[in-house]
Amino acid sequence: MKRRDFLRTSAAIGVATLTFDKLQAAMETNTVMVEAVPDMVAVMGGEPAQLLERALKEMGGIEKYVKTGQSVVIKPNIGWDKKPDFAANTNPDLVKALIEQCFKAGAKKVSVFDHTCDNWQKCYENSGIKKAAEAAGATVIPGNDAVYYKEVKLPQAQILKSTKIHQALLEADVWFNVPVLKHHDGAQMSIAMKNYMGIVWDRPYFHSNDLQQCIADVCTYVKKPALNIVDAYRCMRKNGPQGRSVSDTSVLKSLIVSKDIVAADTAAIGLFNQVQEMDIQKVGHIANGEKMKLGTQNINKLNVKRIKL
Amino acid sequence: MKSTVLKTIRVILALLIFIPLLLYFCDFANIFPQPLHGLAHIQVVPAVLAGSVGILIFLFLLTFLFGRVYCSVICPLGILQDIIAWLTRRGKKKNKKRRWFAYSKPQTILRYSLLALCVAFLIFGITVPLLYLDPYSNFGRISVNLFRPVVMEGNNLLNWVALKFNNYNFYQVTIYTITSLSLAISIIALLVVGVMALLRGRLFCNTICPVGSLLGLISKFSVFRITLDHSKCTSCGLCEKSCKSQCIGSKEKAVDNSRCVACFNCLDRCKTNGIKYQFAYRKNNVPAVQHERETVSVPIISEAPQHPFHGMGRRSFLLASAGAMATLPLIPAWAKKGEIVDVTKLTPITPPGSKSLAHFKKHCTACHLCITHCPQQILKPAGFNFGLDYAFKPHLVFYEMAFCNFECTVCSEICPNGAIKKLTSEEKSVTQVGIARFVKEDCVVYTDRTSCGACSEHCPTRAVKMEPFEGALTLPHVYDELCIGCGGCESICPVRPVKAINIQAVEVHQVAEKEKEEKQKEVDQDSLDFGF
Repeated sequence: MKRRDFLRTSAAIGVATLTFDKLQAAMETNTVMVEAVPDMVAVMGGEPAQLLERALKEMGGIEKYVKTGQSVVIKPNIGWDKKPDFAANTNPDLVKALIEQCFKAGAKKVSVFDHTCDNWQKCYENSGIKKAAEAAGATVIPGNDAVYYKEVKLPQAQILKSTKIHQALLEADVWFNVPVLKHHDGAQMSIAMKNYMGIVWDRPYFHSNDLQQCIADVCTYVKKPALNIVDAYRCMRKNGPQGRSVSDTSVLKSLIVSKDIVAADTAAIGLFNQVQEMDIQKVGHIANGEKMKLGTQNINKLNVKRIKL
Repeated sequence: MKSTVLKTIRVILALLIFIPLLLYFCDFANIFPQPLHGLAHIQVVPAVLAGSVGILIFLFLLTFLFGRVYCSVICPLGILQDIIAWLTRRGKKKNKKRRWFAYSKPQTILRYSLLALCVAFLIFGITVPLLYLDPYSNFGRISVNLFRPVVMEGNNLLNWVALKFNNYNFYQVTIYTITSLSLAISIIALLVVGVMALLRGRLFCNTICPVGSLLGLISKFSVFRITLDHSKCTSCGLCEKSCKSQCIGSKEKAVDNSRCVACFNCLDRCKTNGIKYQFAYRKNNVPAVQHERETVSVPIISEAPQHPFHGMGRRSFLLASAGAMATLPLIPAWAKKGEIVDVTKLTPITPPGSKSLAHFKKHCTACHLCITHCPQQILKPAGFNFGLDYAFKPHLVFYEMAFCNFECTVCSEICPNGAIKKLTSEEKSVTQVGIARFVKEDCVVYTDRTSCGACSEHCPTRAVKMEPFEGALTLPHVYDELCIGCGGCESICPVRPVKAINIQAVEVHQVAEKEKEEKQKEVDQDSLDFGF
């Protein structure tokens, strides 16, 4: 038995212990994986919904990631009490478009949450995400209290051996990691890996125990996002993660989609460097992620599709 | 007009004011419309402190016209006493004798001394006596510290059930804003007021309450008032037994209108139609002088039913107060045990809009309305640690992930006392209530040589900036002139037990500077490439 076959079989058996439906889904997913789906798609020059539609099409269609009857969690960045044009939070139009795609694929339920930094109700409101998500039929759920978070072991982690993760995400069949591309004073950049900090409860632990390593650690959580969808429609060049004014942002009209979280962050920094210099070496969690085999910084080795609309 | 109509109107109006006000005081989720705080603004003590002359003139005129309807209809603590008494059917004729009321002497010296005390202190800008005696503030503290937590935990129970069904319609709330001291003062207030209401009706309002005493001075001369018709009255005592103010002397056919709260309970008791609420300045109806009652009160008391509780009210009140006074000094000692001293917190950080520590102390009577409505629960009642004159008043406390929202102005909008003056979002975002003090030697970047920047990340004004330190590491630096003291940095700082960055109060609030904005960099879409 080849190693790949062995892995495939064991994955199938693992999932089969849940339900037969999921076994089927897993089988289908596995068939998909052997097809030539690119490792990463980057689209540029359109509105958020257009960018997403094209990117998903290139990635094999939303149906490859969301099956009929599944419950989906979308984790945008809704960390700050800021209006959409600050680019402190994920673009609400993108979130809305993704929710619509999920329902199109037959999702039973789509939930959206973030563990916010500012007052959660104000963040949900002023980011425009609550309104957009509810308009698309998603449930916007709170993440403001420890009661929503359940302890999870992270056996592959170096420092963050266990942490509390939002139960909606723990229970979801599929989840999407939908960060916005921005500068960050502490972690240097906040993209897909940094967006994971919004699924956990105890963030001060990260800050007091080597932030850059803890970010990589939390990304080892066994349930990986179906896709990392990096919103670079408008990026925050500096004064991140909150930004001081709209002048801190640049409109890039881009979107980067990949299963490989390290590659997604690497590519996003490449894009970012055209408007603001940022040395990827400084963004410690990316190198740490690569060391922990979460993905690769060597984008040239990947099958990447670059599309200008 | 039927004699019960007035009472029905009184009860309906009272509930129309009491229920919304109670709900507003328990409304942790800001569900009820904000204009409800108007019900707090029409209370006497807030109106005095806020200098709302119009409201005061209205209330005094109301009292001059109709007697102390304020005490029966507008004052939430008065209505709370009525509800407590109603629950026990006190003063109802169906009940046993000992549940009846009887005339009692006015506590003239005590009541006017307490009023004079409050006024005298107030003239010197000290609200301490008023804080303990004002009925509205006491009601506020009772609601916020005793009733609101019940509502919040009820919500959490519902949320717990809902979560079992994957329903997120409720959300969990953790109560941060109740201290052992605020709980103690509220329990004491409820006990004192409740016991007095049960034993002696409106004794609190007629001996302790400065508002009752003040309005009593006016209601003595009110245009409409309860009067006994000497020709019809048979001195049967039925009205007297129903009078929770204990101000009707049926033997000598007189009413002490300075104590009457216009509840109208007595009106339908009279079998001979001898008691009326009527225009008191008719020529043929010269009102008797009612306040000098010492001489006549003696026989009344001796003839009153010898029920076991008779005369207990005052005694129990004095006992309760003495007990309260005796335990109060002990509480801070017990509450302080194990507290970690943060040198920046030796003066309280007053809410934005309160102008200065002095202004705030002069106007706040600790009704705790702002505490209920602070969306971040960072307004917390102080103990005695900032001095007697700051006890129970709210101050800003930052804890994990809770700090003053950058553009939030809720507390400034609802404060009925004018202790927190109204601010616009623009004004709020530059109101400096404190300044961040950074201690490099405690910072994790310095001690552990790892990245952090949580403080700078949370700073909404860019007053805390990360500046080059070693290699890729950056260390926070505080620009005082930009800092507004919102506590974003302090709340998230991971250093324990004392954080590396802490807000120190600015006793007189300042206007912070705003960082200059740069022009937006336009991106040439055509030349833009993927960059990877």
